[in-house]
Amino acid sequence: MIGCYATGVFPRPKELVEATRAYERRKINDENLEKIFHKATLKIVQAQISANFSYVTDGMLKWQDLLRPFTEKLHGVRVGALARWFSNNTFYRKPVVVEEIRREKDITAEIVCFECLPKNVLWKAILPAPYTFAKLAENRFYRNDTELMFKFAEILKAEIKTLTKKGFSYIQLSDPALVYNPFKRPISKDTLIAVRDALETAIRGTAVRTCLQTFFGDFSQILPEALDFPVTDLGIDLYETKFEKLKEYKFGKGIALGLVDARNSLVEDENELVNVAKELIGQVYLLEKRDIFICPNCDLDFLPWERAEEKLMVAGNVAKRLKAELNIHG
Amino acid sequence: MDELFPTQEIGSLAKPAWRIKGYKNEPLSEEEIAEAERWGRKLGIEKITELIKILKNREKTTAEKKELLEWSARYAIRFFEKAGLDVVFDGEQWRSEMYEHIIRNIEGFKFLGSVKSFNYRYFNKAACISKPKYIKPIYVEEFIFTKNNTEREVKVPFTGPYTIVDWTFNEYYEKKLCDKIKDFKQRKAAARREFLFDLIHEIVKPEIGRLIGAGAKWIQIDEPAATTNPSEEEMQLFVEAFNETVKGFNCTFSLHNCYSDYEVLAKYASQLRNCSQLALEFANRDSRQTGIGENRTGYRELKLFEDYGFCGKYGLGVIDVHTDFVEPPELVRDRILHAVNLVGDPSRIYVSTDCGLRTRTWEVSFAKLKNMVAGAELARKTFR
Repeated sequence: MIGCYATGVFPRPKELVEATRAYERRKINDENLEKIFHKATLKIVQAQISANFSYVTDGMLKWQDLLRPFTEKLHGVRVGALARWFSNNTFYRKPVVVEEIRREKDITAEIVCFECLPKNVLWKAILPAPYTFAKLAENRFYRNDTELMFKFAEILKAEIKTLTKKGFSYIQLSDPALVYNPFKRPISKDTLIAVRDALETAIRGTAVRTCLQTFFGDFSQILPEALDFPVTDLGIDLYETKFEKLKEYKFGKGIALGLVDARNSLVEDENELVNVAKELIGQVYLLEKRDIFICPNCDLDFLPWERAEEKLMVAGNVAKRLKAELNIHG
Repeated sequence: MDELFPTQEIGSLAKPAWRIKGYKNEPLSEEEIAEAERWGRKLGIEKITELIKILKNREKTTAEKKELLEWSARYAIRFFEKAGLDVVFDGEQWRSEMYEHIIRNIEGFKFLGSVKSFNYRYFNKAACISKPKYIKPIYVEEFIFTKNNTEREVKVPFTGPYTIVDWTFNEYYEKKLCDKIKDFKQRKAAARREFLFDLIHEIVKPEIGRLIGAGAKWIQIDEPAATTNPSEEEMQLFVEAFNETVKGFNCTFSLHNCYSDYEVLAKYASQLRNCSQLALEFANRDSRQTGIGENRTGYRELKLFEDYGFCGKYGLGVIDVHTDFVEPPELVRDRILHAVNLVGDPSRIYVSTDCGLRTRTWEVSFAKLKNMVAGAELARKTFR
């Protein structure tokens, strides 16, 4: 199967940017802002449909950062200081864990625009992976980050259950912290085993397709252990991962190829992406297992909306050409 | 500077409503015009009636708009002088913003729109679409105006090349290397390097040369993005960029960096050549209690710069620019004296704000700067 989808938060279209600015200056009220959010979400959903995406997200326009819904709504967590979002000129609020974390109500379902999502295309939800949450949080309560990671995995389990019940067919767990490694410290086998077990806790019993999407770092650092992670697909940021290293392994899982660069506005040459994808597929796949998703390497909100929209089309076109050229249907 | 603890601001000061609206030809309220009169009197500005006449004019000519920039620069210079600073500039009143100003004055860039910084805050991000080309002086006119309107020492804030590259989409160079480097990661790194050094040679160095030609003696390179990517390769690139920027000029250079990872910067600071001063943000990290010693939590990293062998001066951030809290002179004094204890030599301390004061009102900024100057004087007394 060859498909395509988005892997994170979408940029806010211009009219929504202006509305949020006006809202901050108290020039529009909650109701008006909500209407503009709704309209922008419809626009983003439509753009994904136009690009022939296999799974569609609602754009996550209300997510101030990947962790924020949990930072704001989990019992036991306080909203902390602004901190840099990996190596980007964007910032997130640190979750400060001050007591036992507890999910007292649905967290992300509350901000999904269900009525904006299409009836005839499958839905995808994106959540922070246990390791990334634990790594980015300020842990003032649990003995160590591993304990926090497992507690958060339990929270995710309940959250995933709600989302799948409400109709989501694909759950992506975003795990940038697992591969972001500017100081090139080796990632221990014990860490990777704990990550695997935490994913198991979060995902066990989930009937839908799942993915661990990594970005901002070299995926090959977590190989071969990642091949045993209990997810259907593994997501790779190809702008941070050395191609050659990847080719040393055979994948028995699906791969989400982060071929579209969400951190640069340059619109990719489709021919080049098709060729790179074909080369990687040929090298890393056992022939009978060809589940491939063409996707942006990370959240698209590093781009202005117009450029992100162009890049959605690139992802869609590359997937379409791969299907035709590799003679793969579905 | 003969006296200990010279005082300075980092660069920006809020633009008054009359400057912003006046420049855009938007109507000004009576209160906004009265504000111009009030501050004018407070700062002892002459011929305010000429400014008021321009402000009341509904359809301002291009020449009048230019005059407005000069008026607001004049106000800002006098503002810093009146607060008692030893080193001044014009509060960057001629600039829209540190990034946009330089990008709008060079060729090879195109603004693509707003991208999220955090929450409902965005910044206007540009793409480099062709080789950067110098078309006209960027800061020279502003510098000459400042120099002609003050007797104090002038420091020119200059947005650094590493930050410009970090905050810009690199379309041109990545496209250029498309056929040459197949691996995306390697291509990105090579394209970033080429962009950075082209920018330094085509834009930054020519502008520095012109500033020096116009009489600039001290240029502060602003590099807020310095530690955004803390990897060894990137930090070495940053150091190389700074050293290449200042190479061959007979001028004093300093580096300003704030809200960054100082554990990382400290490791590389001693490799910066011809960097007479590091202007760093500390007050934001510090407690508000007076005293010297353990309660000066915000200044821990200063020691790291010393341990790693930086031997230049420090622009010691003693004023937090993100709060309206007005630091008492005694707190400023203690922050300075604590830093002296860590550094060992009082002559290496310049007293500074953490960053530019552009997010504070003029009332708050003025009170903060007055207290900063008073605090520096209290610190001096302990050495007399």
